[in-house]
Amino acid sequence: MESGTHMTTTLNRPAASSPAPMKPALTFRQRLNVLDMKASPYLYIAPFFVLFALVGLFPLGYTFFVSLFDWHLLKGQGDFVGLRNFQEVLQDRFFWNSLFNTLSIFLLSTIPQLIVATAIAALLDQNLRARTFWRMSILLPYIVTPVAVALIFANLFGEQYGLINNILESFGIDRILWTNETLPSHIAIATMVNWRWTGYNALILLAAMQSVPRDIYESAAIDGAGTFRRFFSITLPSIRPTMIFVVITATIGGLQIFTEPRLFDPRTSGGTAAQFQTTVLYLWEMAFDRSNFGKAATIAWLLFLIIVLFGLVNYLISQRIATTGEGRAPGRGAGRRRRKRSTAPAVVLPAAGPQPPAPGSAEPAATPAGTTPRSTR
Amino acid sequence: MEFSRLRKITALAGVASLAIVASGCGGGGGNDEPASADNPVNLTVTTFGQFGYDDLYAEYEQQNPGVTIEANNIDGSANARTDAFTKLAAGSGLSDVVAVEEGWLGSIMEVSDQFVDLNEYGAGDVKDNWVDWKFEQGTDPDGRVIGLGTDIGPQALCFNRELFEAAGLPTDREEVAELFGGDDATWETYFDLGRQYKEATGKAWYDQSAFVWNSMVNQMDEGYYTADGELNVEGNEAMRAQFDLLAAGTADGLSANQKQFDWGKGKAFVDGSFAVHVCPAWMLGTIKEQLESAGGGTETGWDVADVFPGGASNWGGAFLSVPESSEHPAEAAKLATWLTAPEQQVKQSAAANNFPSTLEAQQKIVEDAVPNELFNDAPYGEIFASRAEGVVAQFKGPQDSEIQEDVFAPALKILDNGTGTADEAWEEAISLLNDRVVNN
Repeated sequence: MESGTHMTTTLNRPAASSPAPMKPALTFRQRLNVLDMKASPYLYIAPFFVLFALVGLFPLGYTFFVSLFDWHLLKGQGDFVGLRNFQEVLQDRFFWNSLFNTLSIFLLSTIPQLIVATAIAALLDQNLRARTFWRMSILLPYIVTPVAVALIFANLFGEQYGLINNILESFGIDRILWTNETLPSHIAIATMVNWRWTGYNALILLAAMQSVPRDIYESAAIDGAGTFRRFFSITLPSIRPTMIFVVITATIGGLQIFTEPRLFDPRTSGGTAAQFQTTVLYLWEMAFDRSNFGKAATIAWLLFLIIVLFGLVNYLISQRIATTGEGRAPGRGAGRRRRKRSTAPAVVLPAAGPQPPAPGSAEPAATPAGTTPRSTR
Repeated sequence: MEFSRLRKITALAGVASLAIVASGCGGGGGNDEPASADNPVNLTVTTFGQFGYDDLYAEYEQQNPGVTIEANNIDGSANARTDAFTKLAAGSGLSDVVAVEEGWLGSIMEVSDQFVDLNEYGAGDVKDNWVDWKFEQGTDPDGRVIGLGTDIGPQALCFNRELFEAAGLPTDREEVAELFGGDDATWETYFDLGRQYKEATGKAWYDQSAFVWNSMVNQMDEGYYTADGELNVEGNEAMRAQFDLLAAGTADGLSANQKQFDWGKGKAFVDGSFAVHVCPAWMLGTIKEQLESAGGGTETGWDVADVFPGGASNWGGAFLSVPESSEHPAEAAKLATWLTAPEQQVKQSAAANNFPSTLEAQQKIVEDAVPNELFNDAPYGEIFASRAEGVVAQFKGPQDSEIQEDVFAPALKILDNGTGTADEAWEEAISLLNDRVVNN
C-alpha cells in the first residue's frame, strides 16, 4: 500500500520533504530516501523507454538510413541515392494499388465490425441466462491463431473447390472469383478480420456499456423511451471514449494487415495481379521477394507517415469528441459519474424523452453526455 | 524494510533485463575437428518439398559416430528461397547444409563468396560423377564449386488414361508418345490434340498456362537471360511466338485455370479437370502427394509417356551447399558429398520419385527398372533417362525465378481468366518486367 501511494501520487512528497527546513542536516538514510522518492519512479519506467529506444526508435532511424541507399537483400549496402527511392516508390503503381487495397479492406472490415460488435455488446448487456458463457463464446474466434483462420477461410473461399462457391453453384448462381477479382477478394479477407475481431471489440464495448449507470435507463424507460431510443440516446454517447479507443486500435491494425492477405493465397504476395496486396505485404515482397531493401525501407517509412497521419486525424476527432464530452460527461470514474448523474435526473429526462429536444446549445454545461442525443446536433 | 527490499529487487530486475537485451548478440566460435564419439558434431540440414532424405540421415549417423543430423524440411521451393535469403541477409541462421533450387541458384551465385568452395573438400575428385552441365551449374564464375547436384528435372508428359479413353485417344504410353510425335513432338501437335480433346469431352487439356510456359522457356537455348547474363525478353521473337501459341490454346479453353501447386488440394487430379500435365521427374512425387491428399490412387489413371513437345527440356533440380557461416564446414561438406554420391542418389530417387543427376545413379535406376506403381507401373528410370538425353543447361540469371513467378505467371493468369488478349497479356508481362526487374 505504502509503496503504491508514494509512487503514483505526488501528494506525499511535500509531506515527506516538509520537515527538511526544520532539520537542516539530513542523515544519509534520509537523503537516500529522498533520492529514492525522486529517482525511483523514473527507474521503474526506464525499462520501457530503454527497450523502446532499442527496438523502436533505433530501427525507425536505421530504416530511414537504409531507405537512402541502394540496398540489396543479399549484397547489402550499395550507393547512396538520396530520396530517389521515395520518388520511385511514389511513382510505382503497385504502391498506390497496395494503399487502395489496404484502405478498402480496412473500411470493409472496420465499419461492419464495429456496428456488429456494438450490437452484440448491447445484446450481451441485457439480462441473459448463462451470461458468462455467451460472453466467453464471442471471444472464442480471437483465441484461434490468424494462420489457422486464414487456412480455413482460404478453403471456404476457394474458387473452384471452395464451400461457398459450391453452395452458390447448387443454387444455380455463378461462382465468385474470390481470389482473381479485386472486390470479392477484399470481402473475403475482411470476413476473416471481422470473424476474428468482432467478438474482441464487442467485449471491450460491453465493458464500457456496463459502466453506464442503470438508473438513467430506468428513468428514461419511465419517461417512455423505447429500447432503441435508449440505445441511441444513452448507450452510444456514454461509450464514446471506449469507441474512440476501439476505432484507433482498429485503424492501426487495419493499416498493418498482413497475415490474412499473405495466407489467403500463400503462393503469391497478395494475388496473381496484386488484387489484395496490402501495403505491408508489398513491403514484405519488396524486401524478401524483390530483394530491394532500400525501397522496402522507403515503403516502411511512407507507411509510418500514413499511420501518423491517420493517428493525427483520430486524435483531432477524439479531441473534439472529448471536449464536447467534457462539458457533458464527467470523468471516466464510474463512481463519480454515477453520483453526479443521479443528482441530475431532471435534466436527463426531458432530453431522453420521446419528443425531440430543442436544437441549439441551450443545454446547461453540466448535462451528462449520456443525455444529449447526437442526432440533434 | 520489506518494501524497500522489494524495490531493490525490482530495480535489479530492470537492470538485469536491460543487460540481457544488450548482450543478446554474440556467438561462440566452433571447432572443425573431425567428428567422433569423443567429439560430437551437430549438423543442421535444410531441404524443401519432396527430398527423400530421412532414411539417409539415419544411415549417415550410424556410419559416422558422433554426428547428429538435425533436419528441417520446408514445404516448397519458394518458401525455402525466402528462408535462405532472409538468413543470408541476417548473416546467421543458415543450416550447415542448405538445399538450393535451380530457379534461384542465379541469386545465390551473386553472393557465391558466402558459400564454401567445395573444391577444398574434394568436389573436384568426384566431378565426373555428374552429368557435366549439372556440375557446371553449381560452379561460380571464379571456378568455386558452391553446390553439388542432387536431382535434375528432365521433362516427360503425364497423361490420364481414363480421360484419354473417354475422348477416344490411345491409352498405351508408347502409342501416346507416338501420338504426340515421338522424337519430333511439337507444341503445335500438343495444342491441336488439346483442341481435339476439348471438342470430344468439353474439358480442359492442361491445368494452367504457367507450367506449360515454364517448360517452353526452359527448352530454349537461351531463356529469360542470354548466356552473357543480359535480359532476353523484350523483342525476343522466338519467345513471343511461343507465347502466342500458348495464348491461342488457352483462348480455346484448353486451360483448367487451376491454382499453381494447389490444384484444389489435389482434387483437380482426381476429378478429371485436365488430361495432360508437364512432368519433370520430381513432379511425379508432387502428383503422388496431391493424389494422396485428395484420396485418389492408381484408379485415377495417371500415366507418364516418354515424349515431350518441342524436344528435351529440364525444369528444376536442386543442389546442396555449405554456407561460410557453418561452424563445421568440413563435416558439412563431407555430408553433402555423401548425400549426392551416386549410391545415395539412387535411394533418394526411390524415396522422393525424382531423377538423379549423377550418371552412375541414372544407369543404376535404368537397370533396376523399378516400376512406378502409381503411374501404371511406368518404367520410370528408362523414361526419364531417355528424356534427359539432349538436355542443355540454360543460363539462369539472378532473377530467373522471379521473372517466371512474378512477371509471366500474372500475365498468363490474364489469359487463363480470359480477361485479356495475347497482346494485352504480353504487354503486361513487359510492363511487369520493367517494374520489377529492370527498374527494381
